[in-house]
Amino acid sequence: MNTPQLDNVIPKPASVLDKARIYRDKFKAWVNLDSSNLTAGQQLAVKYFTVAVILFVAQILFGLLSALQFIYPGFLYGILDFNVNRMVHINAMIVWMLYGFIGSIYWLIEDESGTEIVGLKWANIAFWVLTGAVTLVVLVYLFVQVGPGKDSSLWFINEGREYIEAPRWADLGITAVMLVFFYNVVATFSKGNWSGIAGVLVLDLIALVGLYLAGMFYMTNITHDQYWWWWVIHLWVEATWEVLVGVIMAWSLMKLLGVRRKIVQTWLYIEVALMFGSGILGLGHHYFWIGMPEYWLSVGGFFSALEPIPLVAMVVHAIYDSGVHAFKTVNHPALAWVIAHAFGNFFGAGVWGFMHTLPQINLYTHGTQWSASHGHLSFFGAYATINIAFFYLAIQQWRGNVWMAAGTRHAWRWKWALGLLNAGVVGMTVALLIAGYEQSFIERAVEGSTWAGYFAAQNQPSFQHAMNWRMFFGLVTAAGLGLLVWDLLTIGKYEERKAEKVVEKVIVH
Amino acid sequence: MIEPVALKDFFITFFSSALIILAGAAYALLFAWSKINSHTGIKIGALAAYAVLVASVLELTRAAQFQGYWLIISVAMVIGYFFAPIGIWHLCVKTHGHPDDTSIKTKIQEDEQ
Repeated sequence: MNTPQLDNVIPKPASVLDKARIYRDKFKAWVNLDSSNLTAGQQLAVKYFTVAVILFVAQILFGLLSALQFIYPGFLYGILDFNVNRMVHINAMIVWMLYGFIGSIYWLIEDESGTEIVGLKWANIAFWVLTGAVTLVVLVYLFVQVGPGKDSSLWFINEGREYIEAPRWADLGITAVMLVFFYNVVATFSKGNWSGIAGVLVLDLIALVGLYLAGMFYMTNITHDQYWWWWVIHLWVEATWEVLVGVIMAWSLMKLLGVRRKIVQTWLYIEVALMFGSGILGLGHHYFWIGMPEYWLSVGGFFSALEPIPLVAMVVHAIYDSGVHAFKTVNHPALAWVIAHAFGNFFGAGVWGFMHTLPQINLYTHGTQWSASHGHLSFFGAYATINIAFFYLAIQQWRGNVWMAAGTRHAWRWKWALGLLNAGVVGMTVALLIAGYEQSFIERAVEGSTWAGYFAAQNQPSFQHAMNWRMFFGLVTAAGLGLLVWDLLTIGKYEERKAEKVVEKVIVH
Repeated sequence: MIEPVALKDFFITFFSSALIILAGAAYALLFAWSKINSHTGIKIGALAAYAVLVASVLELTRAAQFQGYWLIISVAMVIGYFFAPIGIWHLCVKTHGHPDDTSIKTKIQEDEQ
């Protein structure tokens, strides 16, 4: 064997690391971001935002693979199966949104409390522990999912609960990290100033951590298991996450539009009352078909009918504000994404949710592509949009609080990213709606939920065409995401104008 | 007990459900707009949107075969969607009132002059 020749072919680890460092330095020089513009808490926040964007890319990538497997079922079969791709697609989405929320809270906490973050060292350690754990869990998802299921599988491979499949060791790690996060938040506000926003945030974090525990214990009865599992899924998404977004929005509206604190805090309390009032028992619409008592049909139906009320409140308030206040912003992309949030939340959660939530029709639609259609638009509209808006707020400060409104260089990038991402998600939603309608009609209503009915629905031309269109719009979404990442890395790079301080003004009629 | 939607009423059930939320939002939007713009057409538009909402609720009640206490949902939607925007408008007016507004208004008037 000729060793010198092999040395030429296989690069030494040291040289690989050197090359990686050179590329990293070149990349840093290209993006040209100055972290001295950020406080310590904001520097930690942008670490969370960075991982969030990477996971967003992973979500779209694995979503595209899953979409392709609907069209070509043999694609990557036995190598990267559909169940794995779908699991990574959904888990990446949940985790990138959590990263976005945690980053947003670390971003605003120093400003809101008027003091530095308490326990920053622990917060940084928690970030690296969480990121290491997420990486390991994804690797296990990708490479260790085939084999016999044992008790140890729950601890090390996969807990088996849809959307929260992370093995139990990771569950415990996530809980520990969230407790560190909770300590940072409470201790910082205790050292600095408490506010209405701070109070709502702390109470919401208690619920957020507490509810996660409901999805961690093993139960032999599938009805019991599903009962507690929905506590995590529904009460996170339709209660605690909504309130968390309310907190982030409240602070953002003060910074973006100069809205007075008293107003945003009062409306935060009203929103919490409306969200919890309708959202908590709205849980009932998940209990229709899992073996729960019959009264859940009425409870779920009634409170689901109430759930759009906060969205109606939002419409009235938006008109009131547009008529009475002259708002001016120094960050157009962030404001555009906040507006996309309002529309996405209304249509995704409100219209798409109520269309199939009453038990009389949900009997046929639950678990079909109809649910996927609702899920795509509501998660994007309610949560992805607000995180992206916050990324733009962060990048503005990272660049030295530069002007990002009228006359921004290369503004077409954020506008096209906004357009492509929204068009892509709406296109996928409509395609999945058609597929879901056909599936609930053929598979459920006509064929009576049999296996034969399942395959009959999957083989219908309208279902298959819908899946092709979903793939197409998935690619449109991916193009939008590519443009968004490019824009986030470059927007404001050559801007020298500083952003003005935003104050609220009242229109005199 | 529920009576599942009949096969022939699939589409109308989805459509009327969606229309309830859309008409509810349109009514809320036009109602709020009529408060800051006294044009009569906007008020008529708000009432028309509400009429669409009531028709949609009636159609959903028929298609989804609501009976007995399920009719409470229909009544709650008809009454709730009518009064919610009114209540929320009053909340907006009350919560936005601030003594500083006078000075802000004066300042804008000065700027405009």
